Amino acid sequence: MSTTLQVHQLAKSYGAQHVLDGVTFEVPQGEIVGLLGPNGAGKSTLIRSIMGIVKPDAGEIRLSGQPWSRSAVQGVGYLPEERGLYKDMRVGEQAVYFAQLKGMQKADAVAALRTWFERLEVEGWWDKKVSDISKGMAQKIQFICTVVHRPSLLILDEPLSGFDPINARRIIKEVRALAAEGTSVLLSTHDMPSVERLCDRVVLLNRGKVVLAGPSESLRESGWDGTQEVLFKGTDMAFTVALGALAHLDALEPSSVEGIRKARLRLRSGVTPAALLSALMASVDIVEFIKVRPTMESLFIGAVERAKDSETPAAT
Amino acid sequence: MNARLVGAVILREWRTRVFKRSFVLGTVLLPIASIGFMVGAVMLTESSVVRNVVLIEDAPGLITALDVSSGQYVPRCPGCFPERENLVYHFTREAPTDSVWKAQGHTVLVEYDESILQNHSGYLVYEKSPGGTAKRHIERDLSRAMEHARVRQSTELDWSAYQRLKMELTLFDRGIEDGQRVQGGGDEVRGSIGFLFSAVLLIVLFVYGGVILRSVVEEKANHVVEVLIAAVEPEDLLLGKVVGLGAVAVTQLVAWSILSSMGFVAFQSLYDSGALGVAAAVGSSDVPVDLLTVMGENGALVHLLNINWPLMVVGSIAFYIGGYLLYGSLFAAVGSSVHSEQEGQGMVFPVTMPLMFGYFAATMVIENPDLPILEWLGWFPLTSPVIMLVRMASGVALWEVVASWVLLMLTARLVLGLAGKVYRFSVLHDGSRSGWQLLLHWVRGNGQ
Repeated sequence: MSTTLQVHQLAKSYGAQHVLDGVTFEVPQGEIVGLLGPNGAGKSTLIRSIMGIVKPDAGEIRLSGQPWSRSAVQGVGYLPEERGLYKDMRVGEQAVYFAQLKGMQKADAVAALRTWFERLEVEGWWDKKVSDISKGMAQKIQFICTVVHRPSLLILDEPLSGFDPINARRIIKEVRALAAEGTSVLLSTHDMPSVERLCDRVVLLNRGKVVLAGPSESLRESGWDGTQEVLFKGTDMAFTVALGALAHLDALEPSSVEGIRKARLRLRSGVTPAALLSALMASVDIVEFIKVRPTMESLFIGAVERAKDSETPAAT
Repeated sequence: MNARLVGAVILREWRTRVFKRSFVLGTVLLPIASIGFMVGAVMLTESSVVRNVVLIEDAPGLITALDVSSGQYVPRCPGCFPERENLVYHFTREAPTDSVWKAQGHTVLVEYDESILQNHSGYLVYEKSPGGTAKRHIERDLSRAMEHARVRQSTELDWSAYQRLKMELTLFDRGIEDGQRVQGGGDEVRGSIGFLFSAVLLIVLFVYGGVILRSVVEEKANHVVEVLIAAVEPEDLLLGKVVGLGAVAVTQLVAWSILSSMGFVAFQSLYDSGALGVAAAVGSSDVPVDLLTVMGENGALVHLLNINWPLMVVGSIAFYIGGYLLYGSLFAAVGSSVHSEQEGQGMVFPVTMPLMFGYFAATMVIENPDLPILEWLGWFPLTSPVIMLVRMASGVALWEVVASWVLLMLTARLVLGLAGKVYRFSVLHDGSRSGWQLLLHWVRGNGQ
């Protein structure tokens, strides 16, 4: 699989403040990469460097294998966090303008935009003034303006802010569809559920450094601490006897379904889920046996806390 | 520079403003207002012409004698009281009471005694002022009649001899161009036209400079700017913005010129046809009078016809464009360095000071177009747009106009590039500084 974006040892400082400090990561073609990090981690500067808005002090950025250039950036769709539209322009006219700035011919832009407007059900707003449309509608228009030129790389900074749940789901669907068609996506957000739903990979920045990176599933898998959730029919006594020394029981309570109990437990070292399951099946009826992996949010918080601890000088 | 992207920016700036209802209304209403002003001025002039019937009470009998055949007092010097439109003289030795001479149809009474020859003064009595022009005519005519009286009292002179000895000089202007003598003069009249053009430029620069400033501030406030500069180099974006708004200004000026010309032609037709009742008032003759003839006969207006109008028009447009690029870039730099339009207005004054200085210097060009300092200001790009407009009207070598314009354009391009760098820097700046602080920060090289 080819790589759409390569960032290598990128550095940027403002005075004595190192905003980016040797940032290295990749965005493979057709994958959605989540760019995470607390406020001030350097995400915006990183994105602006990729877009050529900020000139990095050191490092390299390659787009589709080629060194960074202004013409290469034409193939990137960028939806900044602070985004807007000209209030005194009509929606269609404005979308055509942005498409032209991305190198499209007017006729091609109009045709592509008409398709996108129908796809996101905003075709009736083509001739409306931006000042006459709702914020959510404006967000849709901005999304269309970002993707209309079929970019090879999409950089979305908090793309779901301002959307209601229905429209947020629709945008997620479109982003997935674009990725399936081969578009690479770099998604910067604080919305962890959307990261879990969307991202194939994540890059976690903290104080200008990459503190965690890799495929989302791998990261969650490697962060699993043996927690299992078990839903069963049977007595608590039978369950705990069967559990024996295989796992530590954290909680045992009724589930939302009458007659079914729910247990949360952690496997002891060396015990496999299969071994536990076979031991339990002998004593109770197993309804569900769920491996509980850490959420992206807990991984995020854990990584940031660890980074903070490692920077704190040891107490004497 | 990416010409295609700059073109797209230019087109957006132009389209979004020219197709606005307010622009169309403003473009149509101004020529209508101008023509209305012109018609109003002519009507006012027409209505302000008052016919004065002056009764001169020559009590000491200095300037009048009794005409036996008519029984009326007549001037001893008939030529001293020339026939004037709207000014008629009657003479008497003893005026009746005020109510009577007014009832007789007189509007003004002039009275004096023997001491007039020593005091050089008398009285002008009226109910309604005859107006400044009529008063000046009466004073001049009476002065000549008194001169005549004094000469008549002299034993050594007679009036015809005095007239021959008396001398009033007129100096006709003759300029030297390319070693040849040409008709000169009319500097003030022509300079005033140039001054008018520079005043229009000043207004246009302030109005559209403000539009540029507002446009940049709005883009920052709307958060459109980050998407824009991700697609277009800031310098290209700025160039497109300034040129686009310059095109709006040119569009408006061209529209105003065309509409005003059409209005003038319509006004001229009405004037020449006498429909306004003005042509008849110009003279009592039966010969039809057209507007251009009236202009040609007017000593001041004839100088307008001597202006090199093709150079004036082309040069004006050229200097408007150059001035636009220069000051538009400065306004854009101001706009990009501030957070609000209000903050930007506070920075506009120092930026436009050279322009204002040039404008005031232009008034000196009217009085003395060849002052060396003004010639230098004509070369200085920050003042040349206004100075050269006046100098072009007053008469200046073509090469000077072209060279000054080229210098202006080069400077404008340089400033545009610098303004683009400020624009980029300020847009990306964290917002802790603005205005002069931010510009100073950039000049010190503390940018990215």
